[in-house]
Amino acid sequence: MSKQKQIIMLFLLASVSIAALSCSATSDKDPFFGKTAPPAKNVFRYVSGDEPESLDPAISNGQPEARIYMALYDGLVEYDAKTLEPRPALAERWQANNDSSEFKFYLRHNGRFSNGDPIDANDFVYSFRRALKKETASRNAYLSYYIKYAQAFNEQRVFVRDPQTGQFLNAKDFDDTTPPEPLAGTPLDTAKDEYSSSGQHAENEPDSDFHKQLHAPLRLTLPGDAKARNKALDADPKLKAAVAGKELVPVKAEDIGVEAIDNYTLRISLLQPAPFFTGLLAHQLYRVVPHKAIEKYGSQWTQPQNIVSSGPFKVKTWQPYDKLVLERDPMYWDAATVKLDEIHFYPMSDNPTIMNLYKVGEIDAVLNHTVPNAWLEVVKVKQDYMDGPEAAIDYLLINVTQPPMNDVRVRKAFNYAIDKNAWATWRKIVKPLTAFTPEGIFPGYPQPKGDQFNPEEARRLLGEAGYPVTKKADGSYSCPKFPVDQVEYIYNTQESNKAMAEWMQAQWKQNLGITISLRNMEWKTFLNVRAKLEYKGFSRGAWSADYMDPFTFLSLFYTGGENGTGWLDPKYVAMLDDANRTLDPKKRYELLAKAEKFLLDAQPMIPIDTAAINWVKKPYVKGMYPNPGSLFPWKYVYIERDPSKWDYGTPSLTAD
Amino acid sequence: MLRFIVRRLLVTIPTILVVITITWGLIKLAPGSFYSGEKRLPPAIEKAIREKYGLDKPWYQQYGKTIWSIVRHGDFGTSLRYEGQSVNTIIRRSLPVSAAIGILAYLLALIVGVTAGSIAALKQNSRWDYASMTLAMLGISVPNFVLGPILVLVFSLSLYWLPPSRWGGFPSRNLILPVLTLSAIYMAYIARLARAGMLEVLRSDYIRTARAKGLSERDVVIKHALRGGLMPVVSYTGPALAFLLTGTVVVERIFALPGLGNYFIQASLNRDEPLIIGIVAFIAITLLLMNLLVDIAYAYLDPRVRYH
Repeated sequence: MSKQKQIIMLFLLASVSIAALSCSATSDKDPFFGKTAPPAKNVFRYVSGDEPESLDPAISNGQPEARIYMALYDGLVEYDAKTLEPRPALAERWQANNDSSEFKFYLRHNGRFSNGDPIDANDFVYSFRRALKKETASRNAYLSYYIKYAQAFNEQRVFVRDPQTGQFLNAKDFDDTTPPEPLAGTPLDTAKDEYSSSGQHAENEPDSDFHKQLHAPLRLTLPGDAKARNKALDADPKLKAAVAGKELVPVKAEDIGVEAIDNYTLRISLLQPAPFFTGLLAHQLYRVVPHKAIEKYGSQWTQPQNIVSSGPFKVKTWQPYDKLVLERDPMYWDAATVKLDEIHFYPMSDNPTIMNLYKVGEIDAVLNHTVPNAWLEVVKVKQDYMDGPEAAIDYLLINVTQPPMNDVRVRKAFNYAIDKNAWATWRKIVKPLTAFTPEGIFPGYPQPKGDQFNPEEARRLLGEAGYPVTKKADGSYSCPKFPVDQVEYIYNTQESNKAMAEWMQAQWKQNLGITISLRNMEWKTFLNVRAKLEYKGFSRGAWSADYMDPFTFLSLFYTGGENGTGWLDPKYVAMLDDANRTLDPKKRYELLAKAEKFLLDAQPMIPIDTAAINWVKKPYVKGMYPNPGSLFPWKYVYIERDPSKWDYGTPSLTAD
Repeated sequence: MLRFIVRRLLVTIPTILVVITITWGLIKLAPGSFYSGEKRLPPAIEKAIREKYGLDKPWYQQYGKTIWSIVRHGDFGTSLRYEGQSVNTIIRRSLPVSAAIGILAYLLALIVGVTAGSIAALKQNSRWDYASMTLAMLGISVPNFVLGPILVLVFSLSLYWLPPSRWGGFPSRNLILPVLTLSAIYMAYIARLARAGMLEVLRSDYIRTARAKGLSERDVVIKHALRGGLMPVVSYTGPALAFLLTGTVVVERIFALPGLGNYFIQASLNRDEPLIIGIVAFIAITLLLMNLLVDIAYAYLDPRVRYH
C-alpha cells in the first residue's frame, strides 16, 4: 500500500510542478508578449474575428468583414491609416458644390478589377444601385440615404405623376417638415457657378437631362405597398385629394442621384447638405463590385473560383472557419505600394485561444477587444500592447416608458450615483464618460459635459421623486419606498458584461441603498428583449461609429423605434436637422453639441465609458496604426525585419 | 438479420422527420433573428431581408418548403448567415475535420483504455490496477475545457513544442493536443468498462474451462476473455463514436477547428435555421446508424444474441 501511496504522491507532485512551470512562464520580464520572430515569408497573419458572413461588401455590417473588405475592394476614397479621414483612392480628387449637397469625383484612369477589367464611373453607378436594390437586402443601405431618392428606391416607394401634364408632385407641398432645398435641388442656373468657391478651377460639363431632373424640388414619394399607402393617404385628406386620379410611378434604380457624367467622372447628388459625406464613402457599402461576375454567378459570385475583386489583394484560397488567404493583386492600380505578398485572415472568436496563438508567434496581430480582462495585468505593460481610445462607447439604456424610470429625476439619480472614474480605474483601459459621444475621437467637436459623480445630489433627487433615501446607523443607505421589483438590469451573457453589471449594482447599493436585480440572457434573446422594450429599468448597450462624425452616435436617438429606450423628442430631432443643414463645419459641431447636451439632460441612457481598442501586434508589423476605428488600409502594412526599426510601444497617431 | 436491418432503417426515417420538426419548431420559438445585431436595422431593410429569405411567408409554407426540399432532394437549403453557402457543402467540408479528430481520439482511447482496463482486471488490486483506475478517475472528473487549456499551457505556451490551436490539415502536429484532450474522458470510461467486463468474464465458467483445458494464459485472455469482456465497450462505442464523428463543441472551440461542432454552436447562436436543422439531422442520422452497427456487431460477438 505504501508504495501505491508514493506513486500517487509522485503523480500529484508532478501535476503541481507542471502548473508552477506554466505560471513562471507567463510572468516573465520580456518586453513583448511572447515570441517576436518575424514570419519566414512576406506574409501577414491576422485574426479578423468571427467567420465572415460573406465576401460581398454589400451584405455584412460587421467589423470583422469590414477589415476583409478593405483588402478586397477599393472605393472612391480610402480611410487614412491614422485619422480615418477620407484619402483619394479610385477617385483621384473630388469637388463639393457650394453647400456640399452635390459632389463630383474624378476617377483615375488606371483602376482595374482583379480580372483586368477597367474600373470606371459606370461601375460605381452599378455598385451603388445594386447596394440599394431590395433583392440585395443590404443591412447597410441606410448609410446611403443621404443620396437623393436612395431611401425611396430602397424602400420601394412610388412617385406621383399627373398623367396630363407629366409633372410630378413635390414633397414640400404636402409635408411641412420637408427641409429647404439644397443647391443640388434648385433649378440649374448656368449664370451661377455652383462649384465656384471650392478653390479649384470648376470644370463645366454640358448638363445632362438627368442632372436637370435632379436639380428640381424633391418629389413626393408614397409607400409602394398599397396597404401602407392607403393608410398614409387616409391620414391626410389633402394628400389623398391631390393623389386621386394621378398615376403612381415606382422609384427606379435609375432615379437615384448617382450619375456617370463620362467614363471617369461621377456625380452624386444628395437630399441635403452633408459636409461629412466623403467620410462615409470609404465604408464597405460604397466600394466597387464587379458587374459582370455578379450578373453571371448570382449569390455564388463570392466563391473563390468566381470572385472578382477591386482592392490591393485578391482571394487566393478560402477555407471557411479556417482561413482566408489573400494575395497581392498585380492588377491593382497602386500595386507598387502594396508591400505584403499575402494576408492570412484567421476567423476566430475565442479570446484566450487567439492570445495563445499570438503568444507562440503564429499570428502577427489580433483584432480589437481581444485581451481578456484577467490578462490585462500582464499584457498591458508589454510594448506590443495597443492602447488607445476607440470610436465606441459603453452605456446603459433606460426603458423610459415605465415607472419609476419614466421620471427624469430617478434616471438622473441613477446616473449621479455611479462613480465612472472608479469604474475606469478598475477596468484599467477605458476612459470615464459623461457624454454620449466618445471622448477625444472627433477633433474640434465641443463635446458637452454631462453630470459628474455626485451621490448627495442623487439621493436628493430620489427624495424629490418620492423615494427618500435614509442613512442607517452603520453609515449605509436604504431607500425602502423604491419599487425594486419594477427595475432590473439586463445584459447578454459574457464575463465582462457580468463584471460591469455587478459593478453598477454595487454602486447603486452603496450610494442609494437600492439593490437592482441582474438578469443575463443569450445574445439574440437579449437583443430582442431590448428592442421590444420587454425589460424594466436598465439594459447594457454599446455603440461604435459607422463613420467618423458625432452624428453616428447622436442619430441613435433620431428615430424612436430603434433605440431600445422608448425615448423620442421631436425637439431633439429638429436640433439635429438644424445642425446638419449648417454648412460651416464649426457651427455645425456647435449645434450638434447643443443637441447632445439636450439628450444628456433628458437622460434616456447613462453613459459609462469611451471604449479602448485593446489589441496587440508584433513589433515587426509596421504601417498598422491603432486608430479609433481599428480599420487598416492594408496596402501600407509591412513586415520589418530590422529590430532597430520596430515599434516599441503604441505607434503615435499624430507623428509622421 | 437482413429483415432486422431493413426494419431498423425504416424506423429511422420517421424518427429523423420528428427530430427535424422539433428542431424547426424550437428555432421558430427562439427569440431574435439571424440578422439582428447591436445596431437595429430600419424596418424597411428588415422587411427586405425577410422577403429575400422567405421569412415573410406563413409558417406552414416555410415548414413545408423546408421538409419538401429535404425529403425530395436531400437538400437542407442555404445558410442564412453565410451568404450563398449551402448547408450540404458546409457539412461535407466540416465533417472530415470532426471525423479525423474524433476517430483518432477514439482509436487512442480504445487502445489505451482496453489495455489499461485489461491489465487492471488481470492484476486486480495491484499497483497497476490502482494507478490506472486513479488516472481513469481523473480522466472522468477533469472536464475537457480544463484539460485542453492545461495541455496548451504546458506544451505550447511553456515548452513551445506544439501549436496551441487551428487546423493544420491531416496529418499534422496540430492534431496532437485536440486528440489528447478529446480522448481523455473516453479513455477513462473505456478503461473502467473494460476492467469491469473483464473481471466478470474472468470469473465465469468458460474461462475456468479454458484454463482447465491447459490453454496458455495468453490464449485464455486474448481468445476467450477479451471477446466477452469487451461487450460493454462495444455497446458504448456506438453512441460515443457518433458524437465524436459529428464534432465536439468544446474541443473544436478551444482549438479553433473548422469542424461540425464549431459550426453547430455558431449556427445556434446566429439563429441560422437551415444550418441548425442540417447539422441536427445529420447528427441524428449518424447516431441511429451507429447504434444499428453496434447491434449488428453484438450479434457477431455474442452468439447468444440474435435478432429476428
